[in-house]
Amino acid sequence: MRGFPAAVLVLLALCLTPAVGSAREHLQVFVTQPYLELHTGAGRGYPVFNVVPRDESVEVLFRRTDWFKVRTRRGVEGWAAQRDMLKTVLADGSAFTFDLGDRSGFTSHRFELGMFAGEWGNATYISTYGSYSFNSQLAVEVQLGQFLGKFTNGNTVDIGLTHVLMPEWRLSPFFTIGTGIVHLEPKATLVQPSDRTQETAYVGGGLRFYLTRRFFLRAEFRSHYIFTNLNQNQRADEWKGGFAFFF
Amino acid sequence: MERWIRVLLLTVAVATLSGCATVSNWFHHRREAREERAQAREDAKRSDQSPDDDSAPPRVVDPAVERRKITVPRIRSSNIEIGLDYGALSIEDFGTNPVYGITAAYHVTEDFFFQGEWGRSKAGRTSFETLGGNIQLLTPAERHFTYYDLSLGYNFLPGEAFLGRGVALSSAFYILGGIGSTDFAGDKKFTVNFGAGYRVLPSDWLAVHITVQDRVFQSDLLGTTKLTNNIEMRIGSTVFF
Repeated sequence: MRGFPAAVLVLLALCLTPAVGSAREHLQVFVTQPYLELHTGAGRGYPVFNVVPRDESVEVLFRRTDWFKVRTRRGVEGWAAQRDMLKTVLADGSAFTFDLGDRSGFTSHRFELGMFAGEWGNATYISTYGSYSFNSQLAVEVQLGQFLGKFTNGNTVDIGLTHVLMPEWRLSPFFTIGTGIVHLEPKATLVQPSDRTQETAYVGGGLRFYLTRRFFLRAEFRSHYIFTNLNQNQRADEWKGGFAFFF
Repeated sequence: MERWIRVLLLTVAVATLSGCATVSNWFHHRREAREERAQAREDAKRSDQSPDDDSAPPRVVDPAVERRKITVPRIRSSNIEIGLDYGALSIEDFGTNPVYGITAAYHVTEDFFFQGEWGRSKAGRTSFETLGGNIQLLTPAERHFTYYDLSLGYNFLPGEAFLGRGVALSSAFYILGGIGSTDFAGDKKFTVNFGAGYRVLPSDWLAVHITVQDRVFQSDLLGTTKLTNNIEMRIGSTVFF
């Protein structure tokens, strides 16, 4: 509860940032189609309220998903769809190009985020991951998870490398290897065992399947080795499936 | 010892993986190199010929104008939404209590968004405790109800909300569903959530939400194992980045 007022202050401070950032220089593009339609909101359901005629320019203020907020020379601001903006040109006549978020983006992109549900050592497992790709095949990945079992609850943090074998395929296999920590909280009614944190290493693999737009499905298996103080290290298998998106 | 083995294994893995990553380029690279060599040979042949070649027309204009380099301003993306919310949570058997939380969302397409939520409330007394006098089912620490979840949202019914004659704010309804965990009564439970909400945007960077969500988890707190429905209604404000 103590952190709450601080969070409010941080949020208020962040609220002011968009106003400060508005003084920046914007990209100017020219309409080549008979006209460019401007919608009232960033979505195909919002009505068209203005059109920009051919050869006139608009300033591109910012982008939200597949929509661009633009300002006409008369100062009218509205939202233009990605497919319409593809037909505009820059001041030097070259085409206005940008990241489309399509199948080619699935093959090569910078970031990924996703969520999974599954099983970690026979306990229900929920996790989320983020990854940064160095190239179309190799990425570094961080995953945070929580498993909720009958006898033990726990949290996991994993960091590792993922290698996608055929990034251009719609269904592409991948391998992963890395290390992490697991925090175990045993549930017990008679004795109260203490929580413990242990280091782990894992190796695994899975499949990625491109769904549509920026989404893909991902199913994965990981075999974790838990390094204990005992004579024998423990093993835990992780099975999970979920969806992810790239950007 | 194990740490060393792991470090060694990881180093080998890193080296192998990045090595493999270049495999697909090897053949490509070889072809490029061949093409470069052929081009160089051709250029050399041409430069040998040119001094003797008088038939080439003399240059009338020397293009000394340097090509202007145009820097294209980067377009800012504004897909992330972060905010705070406050509302009421009805914890099954434990009454309705205030709840506060943090929400963060990433808008992937105009239709779908990915959302993470964290919230906290405090359970009241069950009717059993109220009627039973001094009976305490849970300690004060166990009464904290803390949840987090990861959900997928879908926007539908886009529209506009009108304030008087001059102001129109874009708005949308959305449905949400996801999974998460609830820490309540000294135990953590796997929780499924689903709900719906209404979002209205007073400006491009600010949104006001009203959300109703049901958090369902299995509980055996009152003797029998049952699915508990914990309905939450909250109002919040988020900022787009």
